[in-house]
Amino acid sequence: MTAALLDRPALVERLRAELGKDAVLTDADVTASYARDMMPLAPAGTPLAVALPSNTAQVQAVVRACAAARVPVVPRGAGSGLSGAANALDGCVMLVLTRMNEIVDVDPDNRLAVVQPGVVNLDFRGAVEKHGLFYPPDPSSYDWCTIGGNLATNAGGLCCVKYGVTTDSVLGLEVVLADGEVLRTGRRTVKGVAGYDLAKLFIGSEGTLGVITEATVALRPLPQAPGTLVAGFSDTEAAGEAVAKVVREGIVPSLMEIMDATSIKAAEAYLKTELGAGSDCRALLLCQSDSGGEVAQRELTAIEQVCQDAGADMTFVTDDIAEGNMLLQARRVVLTALELYGVWLTDDVCVPRTRIAELIHECERISAEVGLRIAVVGHAGDGNMHPTIVYDGSSAEEFARAQRAFDDILDAGMRLGGTITGEHGVGKIKREWLAKEIGPIGLRVHQQIKAALDPDNLFNPGSMFS
Amino acid sequence: MTGNDKLVAELHRALPDGAVTHDEAVLEAYRYDRAAFCPAGQPAALVRVRSTEDVAAALRIASAHRVPVVPQGARTGLSGGANALDGCLLLNTEQMNQILHIDVDEQLARVEPGVINAELAAAVRKHGLYYPPDPGSMDISTIGGNVATGAGGMCCVKYGTTADFVRGLTVVLADGRIMRCGRRTAKGVAGYDLARLFVGSEGTLGIATEITLALRPAPPAPLTAVAFFRTPVMACHAVAGFLGAGYRPSVLEFMDGPTIASVSALTDLGFPDDTGAMLIAQSDSTAPADELAAFERAARECGAIEVIVAEDPAEGELLMQARRLVGVAAERLGTNLVDDVCVPRGKLAELIEGIEQIAAEHDVLITCAGHAGDGNMHPSVVFDQHDPRQVTAAQRAFEAIMVLGLELGGTITGEHGVGELKRDWLARELDEPARWAHQQLKRAFDPHGILNPGRVLVPEVRAP
Repeated sequence: MTAALLDRPALVERLRAELGKDAVLTDADVTASYARDMMPLAPAGTPLAVALPSNTAQVQAVVRACAAARVPVVPRGAGSGLSGAANALDGCVMLVLTRMNEIVDVDPDNRLAVVQPGVVNLDFRGAVEKHGLFYPPDPSSYDWCTIGGNLATNAGGLCCVKYGVTTDSVLGLEVVLADGEVLRTGRRTVKGVAGYDLAKLFIGSEGTLGVITEATVALRPLPQAPGTLVAGFSDTEAAGEAVAKVVREGIVPSLMEIMDATSIKAAEAYLKTELGAGSDCRALLLCQSDSGGEVAQRELTAIEQVCQDAGADMTFVTDDIAEGNMLLQARRVVLTALELYGVWLTDDVCVPRTRIAELIHECERISAEVGLRIAVVGHAGDGNMHPTIVYDGSSAEEFARAQRAFDDILDAGMRLGGTITGEHGVGKIKREWLAKEIGPIGLRVHQQIKAALDPDNLFNPGSMFS
Repeated sequence: MTGNDKLVAELHRALPDGAVTHDEAVLEAYRYDRAAFCPAGQPAALVRVRSTEDVAAALRIASAHRVPVVPQGARTGLSGGANALDGCLLLNTEQMNQILHIDVDEQLARVEPGVINAELAAAVRKHGLYYPPDPGSMDISTIGGNVATGAGGMCCVKYGTTADFVRGLTVVLADGRIMRCGRRTAKGVAGYDLARLFVGSEGTLGIATEITLALRPAPPAPLTAVAFFRTPVMACHAVAGFLGAGYRPSVLEFMDGPTIASVSALTDLGFPDDTGAMLIAQSDSTAPADELAAFERAARECGAIEVIVAEDPAEGELLMQARRLVGVAAERLGTNLVDDVCVPRGKLAELIEGIEQIAAEHDVLITCAGHAGDGNMHPSVVFDQHDPRQVTAAQRAFEAIMVLGLELGGTITGEHGVGELKRDWLARELDEPARWAHQQLKRAFDPHGILNPGRVLVPEVRAP
């Protein structure tokens, strides 16, 4: 005998009984605000309810209730994602983890911390910094995105060139599985090979395999205050060559960002200042070293030399933190600055580090073809570029052209030997592209893993792949 | 024709001449890896593959016949994961030993699984590049084996383990389909992290036939220092003090008194007499002298008897000899059962003290050396394999060490793997949902259970 299927009103009733009335939202105006992340291209449905659990037991209760009702569950953090992975499906329950926002433990002796998924990245960084420790992953949204979302998407950021991505900092996870059981995987030790590396499988699985309810992460000693270098190039190839040469010479800056001409102009207009690069500047490189003292100075001098050899028209080095922050500000404001011209749609391709200039040229070509402004900013040290298309939000026709540009950029990235997503994820916008990148056998393996861990397809069904 | 004859005949037809053998003398030589106390079965045949297509052909046939396949490299493993099973196909990748490409600009190497670790390290070094993973067996072990076990080494304290360097894999799945996963770019989140799932899966999910590895710029030649202490606890405090101050040595190794004694018996290194423990630190940073000065300070603050900082890399190599001789020295004393527990670094002193107690309780000799910077110790139970009392005592001590490791919040294996030796222990370390997830993944990848069955996971009881 199988248990009777829980109907929708009974499900909502049960969720309220388990979580309390204030933790289950059904008012359409309110639930709508949880239905979308930051990716305008991705489809979003209308959720049945939004559940805001406060602890792992409540997450288990939500998962079990939804399983009993065969209602899909979409896990979600702050909604800062850029792939629609956390967008609602029609009739789903949004499982919002922002109330699980406790930093459970900071252990300076073992240099690790235990943290709940709803903790905001920046709050967590601040908390461990008090112990002289450093949590490297720093996606651009770090002042409002959550650790849980970072884990689900395997978020990157500016730090990756030196410190890697989120998965590189994770030691262990607690995950609620589709049957409501709690799995603990990984460890508190630095090393360990006992069994399959399940933690790494859940990281980046975009809410399709389970709900992460706790993470044990490795921390590092707090690095020194960074020194900063900026270099301007009148030729994009020269900037690309400088990046390749820095990598080849074995210099590992703690940050290496690139801005193309369109991004520079937007940032200058927004900040109402000149970045000192001159009007014919086609690319700006921003580098930092957090190695401290003489070592940092040596690193930045070496990078400066590489830039000059590659043909930079302007280089400037400072160890003044305020000045460094101001320079970095130009990079950070690009997306906001682009709002001067319209609505933005940011892409995320990662190419081999030697092919950045080619990708920028491809974006220029695509920009001319679709007749829309495309600004390229990105993490040059990783080859991870974020070409950002600007369009008129009120024009369906421009939106269609923006979509076309978005796809053309992915196509260009793949042709250059890259991947369709460096750090934003697949979600609900790049499913066809994922299938193209991993091929039919890879796709079949994804389906088998999904079926193995979530046999009833409860978690975020159809997201990432179907 | 028996089923076995049919299998061998099919393999002969599908694979190049000389690839398949069922000569008993040859098979005998391939039955074991280097684990003590691990049974090995009688294989049906040995296949020495030379290409991805060979592996695919062998797996298609094995799948059709439902014959177990045991993938193996140089058989240097320490957990019985590459030992033969009765009636199995030993699938040996040693002859797939080509370094296919070294990409200097992207700092990548694409290699076949049979490439020897040290040969790859030397080849990339010629280009000014560095492949850090350096398991103790690096001169004889293969990259394929390193990937299968997620091998570590002395470098891990600064550079991480094999898993941290694997970018992409070509994997032959159980039914012979060929899959590529991972990437060539520095970052990428397209789909599940399959490459990381295969690393450390010990041949139970698929067979890697091509491996793309990340390389690093070669660091400067390291400087070395050693510090001697009266007790292991003092050494552990020095480790905590040194690392706690934020330093990142490229090597930080520990040796206890019995280990030092065994090495000194082999060759006189002129170590102080009342030494109960020593630490070896290396720095390959741009300011190595500063880093080692900090090491010396930390050691002296914790009561070091003596600290020697090498004047140059050559002298440092001499000091490193002591650590490298540990295995050989221990083998002189008897049969070794090498364990591999890893605990949170803060629990290292408790682990080492506990191991001393276990040695006393079971009346066996245990030498303890390991990667202090990672909390990963390799206590080695030394015994006479012809004395049944000692054999029993050694096995009990070995198990007591794992219990202790788990009690201290650690893991039963830091880098050697589960294999056959520790599969019952893995079942203890994992909770029920984690065991379930393992079984589910195993079934998804290997529905007929032909890939190294009974390794890592206790074999499932299947309906006939």
